[in-house]
Amino acid sequence: MFSVELLDSALFASVFRALIPILLAAIGGLICERAGVFNIGLEGLMLSGAFAAVAGSYFSGSAYAGVLSGVVAGVAVSSVLAYGAVTRKGDPIVLAVALNLFAVGITAFLLVAVWDVRGVFQDPRIVGLKTMPIPALSQLPWLGSVLFNLTLVGYVALLVVPVVQLVLFRTAVGLRLRGVGERPLAASSLGVQPGRYQYGAILASGALCGLAGAQLSLGNVVQFAENMTSGRGWIAVVAVMLARAHPVGVLGAALLFGFAEAIGFRLQGNGLPSQLTDAAPYVVTLVALVVARRQFARASTSVAT
Amino acid sequence: MSVETTDVGMPAPSAPADRGRRRGPWPILRRAAMSLLGPAPVSIGLALVLGGVVIALAGADPITAYRVMGEGALTGPGLVNTFQRAVPLVGMALALAVAFRAGVFNLGGEGQMVLGGLAGTVVALFVPGPGLLVMLLAFAAAVLAGGLWGALSAVLETRLAVPILISSLLLSYPARYFSSYLVRFPLKEKGSSLVATEPVPEAVRIPSLLSESSPLGAAIARALGPENILVRLTSTLDWSLVVVALLIVAVLVFNRRTPAGFEAGITGLNPHFARYAGVRTDRLKVSTMFVSGGIAGLVGIMLVLGSQIRLVDGALIATNYAWTGLLVALLAGSRPLRVAVAGAFFAAIIVGGEAMQRSAGVSAQISQLIQAIVIVLIAIRVQVTWRRRAKSTVREQSDDLGRV
Repeated sequence: MFSVELLDSALFASVFRALIPILLAAIGGLICERAGVFNIGLEGLMLSGAFAAVAGSYFSGSAYAGVLSGVVAGVAVSSVLAYGAVTRKGDPIVLAVALNLFAVGITAFLLVAVWDVRGVFQDPRIVGLKTMPIPALSQLPWLGSVLFNLTLVGYVALLVVPVVQLVLFRTAVGLRLRGVGERPLAASSLGVQPGRYQYGAILASGALCGLAGAQLSLGNVVQFAENMTSGRGWIAVVAVMLARAHPVGVLGAALLFGFAEAIGFRLQGNGLPSQLTDAAPYVVTLVALVVARRQFARASTSVAT
Repeated sequence: MSVETTDVGMPAPSAPADRGRRRGPWPILRRAAMSLLGPAPVSIGLALVLGGVVIALAGADPITAYRVMGEGALTGPGLVNTFQRAVPLVGMALALAVAFRAGVFNLGGEGQMVLGGLAGTVVALFVPGPGLLVMLLAFAAAVLAGGLWGALSAVLETRLAVPILISSLLLSYPARYFSSYLVRFPLKEKGSSLVATEPVPEAVRIPSLLSESSPLGAAIARALGPENILVRLTSTLDWSLVVVALLIVAVLVFNRRTPAGFEAGITGLNPHFARYAGVRTDRLKVSTMFVSGGIAGLVGIMLVLGSQIRLVDGALIATNYAWTGLLVALLAGSRPLRVAVAGAFFAAIIVGGEAMQRSAGVSAQISQLIQAIVIVLIAIRVQVTWRRRAKSTVREQSDDLGRV
């Protein structure tokens, strides 16, 4: 009945809105996974990025300065994870969980300290990211108006997928990174320092999550809300698992969640209670994992103290 | 072997006899100093310093702010409030500690707690019968609901290889939204502006430890005066305190005195060894998650029947007990008695943070900030040390090979 009206270009637009932050964060998680670091701090990194992006945009009056400060914030928070997990050999899962809560705390705290606002911060001085239609291509029917009408961060997200694919599988750096993740002893006996690659991977995930946060708070909406990532970072973690850390697969997984969120949103417009449709992305995520039935021996065992 | 005591009266671990001689004349003092310089105290101290920096950046005076925090949490009504918060917080931390000790990383405490609260409330509202019996039935329903939701995550791992870490977290969201839906629509009290169920019957509510209307309570209140802290505590706190205390004892006995507790402990330390030694680790995961979720569910229903009286939409999540409880369990290293101490400490930080917000104008989020920093520092293994750290070697890296 509603299949026709559901699948129009407005739906695809909202699919991409939902997809881009998840995709960026998931690529960050993927790089860490490949370097042998299980990074579940994506949620907190993204939230820090979202906040810093709004702050940067507000004080500089430029959306791109906002994006840059989002990236800086993501890198800064991830450097704590890198130092703790790599240099101090702490448990990355405990660290990441604590950093996620730290991010919720510090952003809400600064929201009050800087603007004296609780909950949601909106202000005309926050400059949002504009979409940049690519001249001829954005005129194409259906997907054209969506795929070629993204923000700069959106284009970066779509470009990151092939770039990471190339770097990982076609360059020496990528080979060494994968070597560090799969056989650290072999890598180090060949003169590759695992720690350096793991640092690089974690900081890269910080930068990508910072971008993801900026897209969330300056692209999808122009505001900051407490805990506005609301589980997207976790969905990104699952996307990495589902795709077995392959960039193209991650894009596919992110698309799936983008659809789940967008269709949920649409059904809500059709009168379904929001409580049921809000749960959709998480349920879809879990069902996808169950259907995939893969072996995740790495992540689950012996992490708690 | 004689037990040496330090000058703070704590038994100190005895060291090889020559160590004290070699290091100088003050081995006892030295050891006392070392225990104060252990990871937890140093991390807490450093976190408070960092919190102070943040407070100063926010434009308040850190010294004043911390004084307000201390007074707000430890004196008069604040102390009562601290105890009141500590009970569910310790309960949630205990729920997660049971799992962590067995090497199961349960991140879904929130959903398990919410479902427990929901199931228990439904029983409390709709099952007729004598108050105490219905209350116990509500407890049982809460344990069952939270426990089964937890066990579901474990089954997803043992049968379908979806890690508990992820499945428990993801399962929290449908639990939250489902509960929210029921409270908003089918269970909502008609004609009330509050998004909540009807209040549960008086007889089903958890009574306070010593009500001022009871003869004994009234006598004590008359003898000590209504402002006395003991009177306030016993009239405000309810029997959840006793339930949580019993739970601590039960977990303690389980950990130390039962074969299953021993198996859980070694599985947490080394699952490969445990499996080799004949522990059925898959079954252990499921039962551990059932117990963990069950305790979380129990905490949920005790909050509803104790202080909240009705299930209010989002109220159980707003307390943030599940996530703070996780930090408490990590700080306490999953040991029950330490969970109680760490839980009380974090509860004091929360109450103090609120006092700070009221009078020093600093956001109460400072408490979550400080708590998270404590755990980050502990995970980073901050400690004061004079020893040279052993450099990582090839041997250490070769252990990593086992992960692949």
